[in-house]
Amino acid sequence: MTGLIYKEWKQNRLFVLSMILCGLTPIIVLLLLSGGIPASAHDKLRISGLLAGFLAAGAMQMLVIRGDDRKLWGYWITASPDGYKGFLRVKYEIVFAMIVLFMFTLQLTDIGYQAFADDNGKAEAVQLSGMAFPLCFVQILLRAIDIPFVYRFGSKRGSYIKLSCLVLAALAFSALSVIFKEHFEPVFKMGRKLFSPENSSLVLSVGSVVCLGLYYLSYRITCKLYLKGVEQYEH
Amino acid sequence: MSTKNENVKQLGIYLLTVFAFMLLFVLCIKPLKVSNMAFYIIYMVFSFSPAIASLIARAVTKEGFRDMKLHLKLSGNFKWYLLAFGLPLICFSAKFLMPIIISGHSDWLSGFTAQNVLSNIFTLAAMSAVMSIGLIGEELGWRGYMDRKMEPLFGTVGTCIVSGIVWGLWHLPMDMAGCDGVITDAFIMCGGRMIQLTLYGVFLMWLTKKTDSVFPAVIGHYMFNESQGALANLLYQGNIPENADLGAITTVFEYVPMILVAAVFMIMMFHDKGRITKTA
Repeated sequence: MTGLIYKEWKQNRLFVLSMILCGLTPIIVLLLLSGGIPASAHDKLRISGLLAGFLAAGAMQMLVIRGDDRKLWGYWITASPDGYKGFLRVKYEIVFAMIVLFMFTLQLTDIGYQAFADDNGKAEAVQLSGMAFPLCFVQILLRAIDIPFVYRFGSKRGSYIKLSCLVLAALAFSALSVIFKEHFEPVFKMGRKLFSPENSSLVLSVGSVVCLGLYYLSYRITCKLYLKGVEQYEH
Repeated sequence: MSTKNENVKQLGIYLLTVFAFMLLFVLCIKPLKVSNMAFYIIYMVFSFSPAIASLIARAVTKEGFRDMKLHLKLSGNFKWYLLAFGLPLICFSAKFLMPIIISGHSDWLSGFTAQNVLSNIFTLAAMSAVMSIGLIGEELGWRGYMDRKMEPLFGTVGTCIVSGIVWGLWHLPMDMAGCDGVITDAFIMCGGRMIQLTLYGVFLMWLTKKTDSVFPAVIGHYMFNESQGALANLLYQGNIPENADLGAITTVFEYVPMILVAAVFMIMMFHDKGRITKTA
């Protein structure tokens, strides 16, 4: 297992370390763009920085997943002592570690900025950690969806198929909700009740744990699909 | 050099480095009071000082950086990760709730609705997975290095006691910063914490030995810090009178759950040790 971690580190260390940069994005955006912008808009700049960092971090995580969708590598790793399950486990762990590193840097920077703002008499700086926490679980969920597609169909074809599946699912749901409007009404009502302000903390916390569960489930699914995928890789 | 002497040297360098950081922090407390930013930076460096010290000790003694227990070791050990999450929660629930229930004031616990409790448990579970990583700065040093160097020198019980004292003492500068420099208050706080940490350290040491990874200890440590906050938050939502005092029973439950945990895991550690010796 150490060998696989070493391989991932050598191959992807720049992407892994770029998570630190992504976590610093709110501050970088603030430093670069704050000239001429009133202090009251600084929080908005930091929030845009957070969103930019979130998107960049997601892209970097995808770059770590890609690159190993090759036939020769697939056969070789399957024959190694750790097997393809060990390889996939390390991939999932690396991606998870990247998300944690992103979150950790973001949190450190945020607390640092709060301290700086406090020193400069701006006691009401927005805390980004509260927004970053759900975003972090969105990222876990997105990777849980991405990884099986990449290893089953290859990175290029996997992206198209994933996109098609998501669009089809959205279209099907919209069509069904229009056609069977009266059947869907109780579902929407239940949804509205579920996401009401008094239930929001419970829904958010349960949702976060469900995301973690789905991430594990995604690993199990990828393990099941990997060998079928290897057979169909182009190279 | 014999293994014992090597251990003494490695442990000596480690402890010297940790206490050097501690001294630096103590000396910086007053001048840093003027700037929150400077205080925050020094505080962050200090929080990571056990891990930094272990890296320095490894480099200086040419021990190398192998076997730092940084693998997750999830397969077969997931139950111990769950234990690291759940046990502090149970312990602190007993500490906070039992005195109230036993003294017949269950009506104070109106904040403990099913929704609030579930929401807090799930939040803690999610947060312990993604936000506990900062505590690797401590656990890499205490459990990942110090305990392992101490055990051949002081034995299992001795290690638990000495490492608990070191761990507790290391928090003194934070207590001093929290008590606005009132030394007696800081020492009282540090003493109470030292007892708790010595007892809880037994569980964390057992976890690290059982799983051969520092990550369960990281989660256990995170839960030790956060579950107290979550429970206190739920208590504040209840209708507790301002001058509420439950007397001696609070002090009893402050330590009894931790003593039980320490005793159980000490026995388990000896049991595991006996089994390893028999196998060898």
